[in-house]
Amino acid sequence: MHPQRVAIRFPGTHDGFALAFERFREALDAEELAGTPRFNTELVFEEIVANIISHGAAARRELAVAVTFETHADSIVLTFEDNGVAFDPCSYIPPARVVSSLDETQVGGFGLVLVRHAAQSIDYVRTAAGQNRVSVRLSRAQAAH
Amino acid sequence: MELQVGDPIDGVLALALIGRLDTPGVDRIEARLTAHLVPRAARAIVDLSGVTFIGSGGIRMFITIARTLGRRGGKMVLYGAQPLVAQVFETTSLNIIVPVRADAATAAEAARS
Repeated sequence: MHPQRVAIRFPGTHDGFALAFERFREALDAEELAGTPRFNTELVFEEIVANIISHGAAARRELAVAVTFETHADSIVLTFEDNGVAFDPCSYIPPARVVSSLDETQVGGFGLVLVRHAAQSIDYVRTAAGQNRVSVRLSRAQAAH
Repeated sequence: MELQVGDPIDGVLALALIGRLDTPGVDRIEARLTAHLVPRAARAIVDLSGVTFIGSGGIRMFITIARTLGRRGGKMVLYGAQPLVAQVFETTSLNIIVPVRADAATAAEAARS
């Protein structure tokens, strides 16, 4: 099987995100990706891009995002590149979560928890050009991981 | 993302969400869902069988609404989640802090309690 590669570039805005997500799902449809791998791939896209848009904006610079989607025989690789503030998701430690009390539980940090659960591996590089580059590998198997 | 209002079940408000709880979906629905539940301090059940996707924004929305409702004496119980949505609930431990049930009958009973 020859690996397939799709690249999507978009502004780091809510409208840009919505349009890019539609294009991304069309690419997943073309790959006939379904079930757990489909859900997890969309989840990683949603969480990484939402995080970029929520936290990546830097003063005097428009946020630009590029997502590359590669399919292989047994895996999917998503690569996210943005020009926002430096952020390494691999070293981020989510806040300690109180799960016994609705009043005390924090609502932040769920996104990276979900990405880490869905992914086989996550790699981060701050490029020489000052871009964040996050690569996430997911299984194509129907069972989780 | 669509919100449907059904007939009450033994005095419990019955709502249904249909579509995707991704960032755009949550942006479209959160204010409407909050408006249906919070001002009246509702006891309500929310059918999730039509929700095909949920991300952390959806989890945050449910926690925020449940918290606000609880402080006003109301209660929200979710039910009918598809397996992959239910998996997200487990991964984030949402099902520990917000009531989640399998069906409308058990959800309504939990909402009344």
